Amino acid sequence: MAKSSEESPSRRTFMMVVIGLISTVIGIALAVPILGAVLNPLFRKRDIVWTKLGKISDLNLKPLSPKFVPVYFRVKEGWSVNTLPRQVVVVKQVNGDLLFFSNQCTHLGCPLHWIAARQKFLCPCHGGMFNATGQVVGGPPPRPLYQWVHKFGKDKDTVYIQNKFKDNPKDRGI
Amino acid sequence: MFKQIQNWFDERIGLTKVIEEFNGERIPRRGGWAYTLGSLLAFLFTVQVVTGIFLLFYYVPYFPIARNATYFLKHHVVFGNILLGIHLWGAFTMIFVILIHMARVYFSGAYKKPREMQWIAGMVLFSVVTVLGLTGYMLVGNENSWWTINVLTNVASHTPFIGGFIREIARGGTETSVLTMQHIFAVHVWLLPLVVIMFIPIHLFLIRKTGHQGMALEYKNSKISEDDEKRWLKPDGTVPFFPDQFYKDMIVSLAVFAVIYILAVVVGAPIGPMYRPLALHFAPEADWYFLANEELLKYFPGHGLIIFSTFLIPSIGFGILFLLPFIDRTKERSPFKRPAATVLGILFLLLLVYLTLIGGEPKAPATV
Repeated sequence: MAKSSEESPSRRTFMMVVIGLISTVIGIALAVPILGAVLNPLFRKRDIVWTKLGKISDLNLKPLSPKFVPVYFRVKEGWSVNTLPRQVVVVKQVNGDLLFFSNQCTHLGCPLHWIAARQKFLCPCHGGMFNATGQVVGGPPPRPLYQWVHKFGKDKDTVYIQNKFKDNPKDRGI
Repeated sequence: MFKQIQNWFDERIGLTKVIEEFNGERIPRRGGWAYTLGSLLAFLFTVQVVTGIFLLFYYVPYFPIARNATYFLKHHVVFGNILLGIHLWGAFTMIFVILIHMARVYFSGAYKKPREMQWIAGMVLFSVVTVLGLTGYMLVGNENSWWTINVLTNVASHTPFIGGFIREIARGGTETSVLTMQHIFAVHVWLLPLVVIMFIPIHLFLIRKTGHQGMALEYKNSKISEDDEKRWLKPDGTVPFFPDQFYKDMIVSLAVFAVIYILAVVVGAPIGPMYRPLALHFAPEADWYFLANEELLKYFPGHGLIIFSTFLIPSIGFGILFLLPFIDRTKERSPFKRPAATVLGILFLLLLVYLTLIGGEPKAPATV
């Protein structure tokens, strides 16, 4: 018959080591799939799609007067394909160049309001302010407005938008 | 008949003795009403669990549908508005009562040796309940929920080094998606309630182990010197927990529950407008307990400094609160005999109230 822990100190040590080992093995075996489930988003590639925004000539743009144009991305999210409606703020600069902004504040992502009387985008959450060319003119935002990745069609008039921002290495914003 | 049943159990497991042991704990006598807050919180948490379980009979954690499910619950389920209302107002009350409970413990110095661990267990409960509140707000699935998810995950993304990972894990991807809602749902109904259920017994067990540690007024007639730790084990008078203290607990619980119930019936749970991602003039609002932090976010502009409002100030403040028993190691308990701690506490509370009030002001720019 095996000795009890009270009869043999070395037997006691052995039992405690086995108890510890078993707990560790079970713990690690459970932790691996759980960590996998939790960290899974880090290993997923984001679904990037091109979506047609429309024709620029249809927008009747005036210089420095932003137009909010909705765009509907069809993207794969997790187990489903969903429509993500987003605003594209099209601004024609004085020299005729076009800018395609997101209406997300670069501070923490609230939806910007265009205040025509003040010629500014205002953030309703924390008071960020941007001018019509997307530069920060007040409040806490750390950088100019995000610009959508875009391209022109063959007719140089139709615009396609990608659900991705330019110069945004950390993928901030929505 | 009843006696026979009692005997049956007593012969086997000594049930009466267990119950007497549990109920017979002696509580310092003078501060009875001040000590009801802990029991009140246990009661409120039970109410949250019970109402929450039955809200799950109807709730769907899927973005636009979540708000429809909540709407159905409120308007088409018999007494659904009351169930939802109790869950909402109960949550608000719980957060508010936790703050009062913490203030009571702080001002009466009850976190001091030997109750350090108890304060820490309480802080864990406080942080978890706050996150439960925030996630609950997100689960309603209305317009505010959507922006709260975005803003808060963006706030989290400013954590040094791991911020980006935290945001992606919380959202279940780069963008707020169906997985985001699913994750928040799992955290709100399983993960965090389980943490609370684990920590409440720890909190209670520690009370029993450390013995009486009442407020200073319990020791007015004590002849033991103030520097002697034994002083705090011998209050002038004690009463048994059951029924003396329990009676007071029940009266307070009933009063608070009545307020919650009336608010649930009369005001109900406002579930807000459907999420309209293309709305041009929507101004998101945070829940009242987050307004102080929300206000902080406005003050730190530009590159680099943003980390003060998103990470440094909240986490340092939280850290100080967490480690309070190890920072303040004096033995004095009476709030009048430790003016520095009392004044700092009052100033902190005033700052919190001030930030909450100005944070709650309408800040949407006029839609000229």
